[in-house]
Amino acid sequence: MRKTLLFRHPSNYSLASRTLLTIKLTSLILLLMCMQVSAAGFAQQKISVTAIDMSIKNLLKTIEKQTDYRFVYSNQTLSIDKKVSLELHEVSLDEAMKSIWKETNITYALKENNLVVIYSGVKSQKDIVISGKVVDETGMPLPGVSVKVSGLTIATVTDLNGSYTIRVADGNANLEFSYLGYVKQVTTVGNKNVINVTLKADTRNLQEVIVTGYTNYTREQSASAVTLVTAEKINDVAGLTVDQILQGRVPGMSVISSSGQPGQNAAVVIRGIGSVNGSSSPLYILDGTPIEGGYFQTINPADIENVTVLKDASAKALYGSRGSNGVIVITSKKGKAGQLVVHYTGQYGFSNLTEPKSRMMNTTQRLAFEEGVGVDFGRNIGPGWTYSPKNPTYINGTAAFKTNADRILDSLRNINIDWRDQFYQRSKFYEQQVSVSGGNENFKFYNSLNYYKQDGIAKRTGLERYSLKSNVDFKSNKFSGNMNLTLGYSNSSFTEGEGSTSVGTAMSAVYYALPYENPYAPDGTLIHPGNKAQYNILDLREGSQALERLFNSSSKTDQLKSIIGTSLAYQILPELKISTSAGIDYRNSTDQTYINPDSYYGSRSVSNTLGGKGRFGEGTRRNFNLISTTGLTYADKFNEKHDIEISGFYEYVYNNYNSFSFTGFGLDDRLPGTPAAITNSAAFLPNVGGSKTTSALASFMSVARYTFDNKYTLTGSYRYDGSTKVAPKNKWHGFYSGGANWNVKNEDFLKNSDFISVLSLRASYGISASPFSSSGDYLYLATFGSTTYGGLAGVRPTTAGNVDFDWEYVEEFNTGFDLALFKSRRLRLSADYYNKITSNMFIDQPPSATSGFSLLSLSSGKMRNRGVEFDISGDVLKTKDFTWTLGVNAGYNKNVILHVTDIADEYPDGDTRILKVGLPYGTYLAPQWAGVNPQTGEAQYYNIDGSITTVYNLNEQNVTKSGSFYPSFTGGFNTSINYKGLSASALFSFVSDVMRWNNEDFYNENQRYASSNQSVRMLEDRWMKPGDIKTLQRYDIPRNFTSKDIEDASFLRLRNVNVSYAIPPSLLEKTKVVKTLKFFVQGQNLLTWTKWRGLDPENNNVYGRFQYPNARTYTAGLSANF
Amino acid sequence: MIKNIYIKYTVVLSLLITSFSCTKLDFKPTDTIDALKAYRNIKDINLGVIGIYAILDNSAISSSATAADEVMLPTENTVGNTDAHRWLYNSGSGSVTSSYYTYYTAIDRINRVLAGIEVLTFPTADLPTKDLYLGELLALRAYCHFELLRNYASSYQNGALGVPYMKVSAIGYPARDPFETVIANAKADLAAAKALIPASFTDKTHITKIGVSAIQARLALYEKNWADAITYSTEVINAMPLATRALFPTIWTDAADHEVIWKLKRVATDSRTGDFFFRQSGGIVLYAPSFKLINTFDKVNDVRYAPYIKFDATRTGTKSQYLVNKYVGTTASPGMADVKLYRTGEMYLIRAEARAESTGDAAADLNALRTARITAYTNAAFADKAALIDAIYTERFKELAFEGHRFFDLKRRNLPVQRLPEDAINTFGAVTLSPGQAQYAFPIPALEISVNKNTVQNPNY
Repeated sequence: MRKTLLFRHPSNYSLASRTLLTIKLTSLILLLMCMQVSAAGFAQQKISVTAIDMSIKNLLKTIEKQTDYRFVYSNQTLSIDKKVSLELHEVSLDEAMKSIWKETNITYALKENNLVVIYSGVKSQKDIVISGKVVDETGMPLPGVSVKVSGLTIATVTDLNGSYTIRVADGNANLEFSYLGYVKQVTTVGNKNVINVTLKADTRNLQEVIVTGYTNYTREQSASAVTLVTAEKINDVAGLTVDQILQGRVPGMSVISSSGQPGQNAAVVIRGIGSVNGSSSPLYILDGTPIEGGYFQTINPADIENVTVLKDASAKALYGSRGSNGVIVITSKKGKAGQLVVHYTGQYGFSNLTEPKSRMMNTTQRLAFEEGVGVDFGRNIGPGWTYSPKNPTYINGTAAFKTNADRILDSLRNINIDWRDQFYQRSKFYEQQVSVSGGNENFKFYNSLNYYKQDGIAKRTGLERYSLKSNVDFKSNKFSGNMNLTLGYSNSSFTEGEGSTSVGTAMSAVYYALPYENPYAPDGTLIHPGNKAQYNILDLREGSQALERLFNSSSKTDQLKSIIGTSLAYQILPELKISTSAGIDYRNSTDQTYINPDSYYGSRSVSNTLGGKGRFGEGTRRNFNLISTTGLTYADKFNEKHDIEISGFYEYVYNNYNSFSFTGFGLDDRLPGTPAAITNSAAFLPNVGGSKTTSALASFMSVARYTFDNKYTLTGSYRYDGSTKVAPKNKWHGFYSGGANWNVKNEDFLKNSDFISVLSLRASYGISASPFSSSGDYLYLATFGSTTYGGLAGVRPTTAGNVDFDWEYVEEFNTGFDLALFKSRRLRLSADYYNKITSNMFIDQPPSATSGFSLLSLSSGKMRNRGVEFDISGDVLKTKDFTWTLGVNAGYNKNVILHVTDIADEYPDGDTRILKVGLPYGTYLAPQWAGVNPQTGEAQYYNIDGSITTVYNLNEQNVTKSGSFYPSFTGGFNTSINYKGLSASALFSFVSDVMRWNNEDFYNENQRYASSNQSVRMLEDRWMKPGDIKTLQRYDIPRNFTSKDIEDASFLRLRNVNVSYAIPPSLLEKTKVVKTLKFFVQGQNLLTWTKWRGLDPENNNVYGRFQYPNARTYTAGLSANF
Repeated sequence: MIKNIYIKYTVVLSLLITSFSCTKLDFKPTDTIDALKAYRNIKDINLGVIGIYAILDNSAISSSATAADEVMLPTENTVGNTDAHRWLYNSGSGSVTSSYYTYYTAIDRINRVLAGIEVLTFPTADLPTKDLYLGELLALRAYCHFELLRNYASSYQNGALGVPYMKVSAIGYPARDPFETVIANAKADLAAAKALIPASFTDKTHITKIGVSAIQARLALYEKNWADAITYSTEVINAMPLATRALFPTIWTDAADHEVIWKLKRVATDSRTGDFFFRQSGGIVLYAPSFKLINTFDKVNDVRYAPYIKFDATRTGTKSQYLVNKYVGTTASPGMADVKLYRTGEMYLIRAEARAESTGDAAADLNALRTARITAYTNAAFADKAALIDAIYTERFKELAFEGHRFFDLKRRNLPVQRLPEDAINTFGAVTLSPGQAQYAFPIPALEISVNKNTVQNPNY
């Protein structure tokens, strides 16, 4: 035997070294490099040799020098002295061999590692050469597919074009085609010479691997409750951020968007709100790097391959002190080995305002209302009474007065402004994306570019985004790694004063402005409070004031975000791997506000526009987050039955945050929108501010799993975390979890069951902690801050501190099962029960006023979340061409506060809620509304003893019967139909058992604010005379906050409908360029069923108060592969 | 050999990554001052003292005006919460309860600075300054407790529910001290302060020695300690004469500060003093002077009328033509005005009332004040004590309008708040507030009642 035989050296080291080079250069010229390297990687080894009377032995040596082929032969086989003459130029191995061995009975076989075995070919005459092509379902060639003769070691792989050639002994042989991510296929050769194969993607495999960020276990080996959301549900959804897209997809996860502002994040809560004053948002991990929640506007959902939501302790405890609110692991797309794929998606669309339940008065109604109030109560709330023929002033007035009054009312009647048209718009949406991906077995890449522009339905709002994604995965023998880069730049424009009840903001003016307020003079001039003296104005100009502000101010944020992650692993021994990874999440946000000095809004000398000449402000917020993880993983399987995996890691997470801002006044109107316009003087004193904070977390952790006989699995983890955020004496703490899984399906009694195809039971218990919000880096310290008096600096205590400040510990028990029925797993069910207790909960207990602080940060609360969740899906109909699937998921969570503080069992939580032992967090506190007295029209309230009174006394009547603003029942259901190239899908999401304070009615149905516009109910549903059964009381009775204001905010929403048609591949083949082509149309928020009276029931605030509503969006687009 | 290259790469890269991942966990806050750094020397004590003045505000002016009869609610005020004006407030109403937190926060700051002074050793050169600060702190402590007492005492009599007098910074749950205990403690603090503050310190934006006398005078009035009231008001009157008629209006534009004893300085970045009466945004009169007040003035001869009340004929329709003029500020910074807490005018009225109740020429004080305010005033004579007290009260109504007195003055003598019908057109019947009603004393905040089991609410809430 030759020495070369013993040395198993890597077959393609030249490629590997190029790969390493590439890693270094990736960050510079990634896109170009990837293509170049991949092209080089596919180069075949061609043979060129000229031999004149050369011995075969020397000839083979010459070829060995030229190429990576190594020849193995026995001296007996080869007549060494035989000499040949031939000339080969750039030929394949096969051709070369045929030329060399022609006229002999010698043949060869190509083995792995480019070994060429040369042997006496007595049988060779019987060999059959099989060739063919392997493609995927879309017709794309699959390179790198392993083609193997069953039971033998003869094997080859497909080339760049998916083609292969293999020799088999006879027609009885079976060929196995296998490729990662695809279903293995076995074909009998028979008498065929050409065997073409189409491999089907194995989507089930994806479902079966549970990625926790530290471990990848199969579902049968995992004790965790997790939910996976795959790419097709995330990609192409128009106008939503990643977190919003997950709404209705994950049982037990409530996703509620906070605003209709494009790019705005959602409030995501997993398994009930777990903290009162700490953070309740989950931890987000993108390709191993933790990323900030709430900043998704620069992340392109189309780059996401899948999202895994970790919900139970056995998975969350891996994240220790950061994991208790659940972990959302986002995996971005990776390249697939094979031909270069260029994918294009483009979509266009528009958005509209949804229709609210409450209506405001139009001019006719408004004038009638003003007159009615004047007649009945003598109150003058506008010209409808001032100039009314029923007004004593009119009756006793001169003829000239009467003529004038009639003329005024007539002209007012001709105006009818729907203020929604003034502040909202039909807005455009536009998105383009190109991605390039490809690679081979050892090197894969995915790159994409995306441009996205979405205008908001509120005027002057919108989001523009550029994003770039680049993923590179490489491996070479024992060495493997990857590099992920996400770069995004976004520019958002906002409307100011959103969610405020004050006059002069766009969102409230829609309601407040009077319908007979015409904002414009006939010459097109906007008549606002600043110039209205020149006109005869009878309304309050509340709409025009807001319009004036809208047109003359701006509020923008641009954001640069980059997420870079890299990981490397080296397989030291077959069982032992060392790995290290590092990630950076960097964000720089720049906020800019501008008020035009020439406008009325900018001309008033108030603190907002000091000196009355506009304002320009700019601020930057920079967040830097770094993570580094290094560790060893030992995995082994012995005696066929014992499967063990143990890992140990050290991890360090570092965060620093800087902000800086300035605001300048006295703008030069010739220099709009730049700080150069600012005047620095005593009259225009600029403001400067900023902050810096740093925090870090160091952790030692270990994870272990043991599986016996593929039936019984035990998992465990321990993590020891040290943080800068708790009081020094509590700095280090350990977190652990344990879990078990019983794969019942693998038991003998089920193994052969066709009915039950999957059954596994799991249970876990563990402890983790909730992360601190970024604002709370030093909550344990008593602090002093600055203040001013008369322009002089002073010092004041700011927080009381708490030397005992500790983590919020969350213990959680989970048990559940996975079940799939029928051979093809047509019906799939997954269900879990959990019991989660937060102890040491942060309570911002208000102390006695005499202590000088409004809040003390205590770690004394205790709260429980307990619930069930399930996910069921099935293929209702499944034939060759037609599939109809249905899926439902839901989570029910019951929250209760178990302990508040040692001195109090309850305390007010804001002005309308209470934190009280025995009640859910977020419980409203309000007097019960007892309706309007039909005889007197007075407002009635329930006393605590149940009696009815007309005397309002908040403190005596406050009760907790109005529910909580955290939903207890959420979920979604979806259905999809596929027929050949046509597919249609719909997603409904629902949020139920949730109450919210509708503060809009308080302003729109209140005599105190009646000179602004009111809802139609104030005219039509108000008590007027004895016997009236009405919703609203007599006009002169003050309106008070009661249970009537706490409305049911449950909703069911047709979240997304998508219809697409893929052109059959057979038609596209002729183009030779386009491989797949799909057209689609979709709609967002098409229908909403709710009792909520405000603009939008989807709102994560404690009140509905003139917030930016979510839009209804329609888009159409196409996607194509080249 | 190739294998070796791999290992090298792996090792090098691993080292690179692990080397920049240090293990530092001992960060200190960069943006906050911790307790050790707060009070290190006399300069820090000064910063601490400024930090106390910083929190004092004009809330007594607004809450007293809202609940009393010196303002009326115009129809144009559709934007403000007007419940307090309609006496619908209760322990949950921030409009009347927020002062409870403001003053106790100030008191806690005072006690922290006092504790800071106590542990420091000052160089001899700093000792006089230290005494000044100590004096200011004690006077401020007395002032703040006195303001709490004016706002939240169930009534101004011995035995009435007062407020806890806090002498040290502490997280505790104290019971309410009776009225007389608060008075006694405040008097002690004021006496101590007076001995510490040098007469040479005349910064009117701080409490001066004369300022202490003024606080003592007002405290004595509420205590009905007529002798003290006369003594201390006389100290002030002698040191700080009344402004002339010509100069009187300049007090209100902050152009000058004649007869101002103590005022809270306001600069452009502060919140606007006048916003309570007139909202700049939208130009809305939130509260207008009441007709009851307007009617009491001799509009032609009284130099107080113009600086106090503005008539704007250009305002039509539902808009109020009368506006509170006292805090309009300047054109450059509208609505921004210093908050005048103590003036000599009040001292004359204190002495007049004390003399009327005890001995002395009360009429002379009243006439002296009127002469300083009304052109061509001829001295009036008063039939009896009742007529005199009545005249003093009317004069207080006018002289001290919108300065945070009226509601408390009525409460001092258990008089009802009585509005004219024309002032009550928008109050839905809130015309009379009689002393028997709960709202006659401001409520202790609901939050305090719920967390402090040792405290009690004022009667009838």
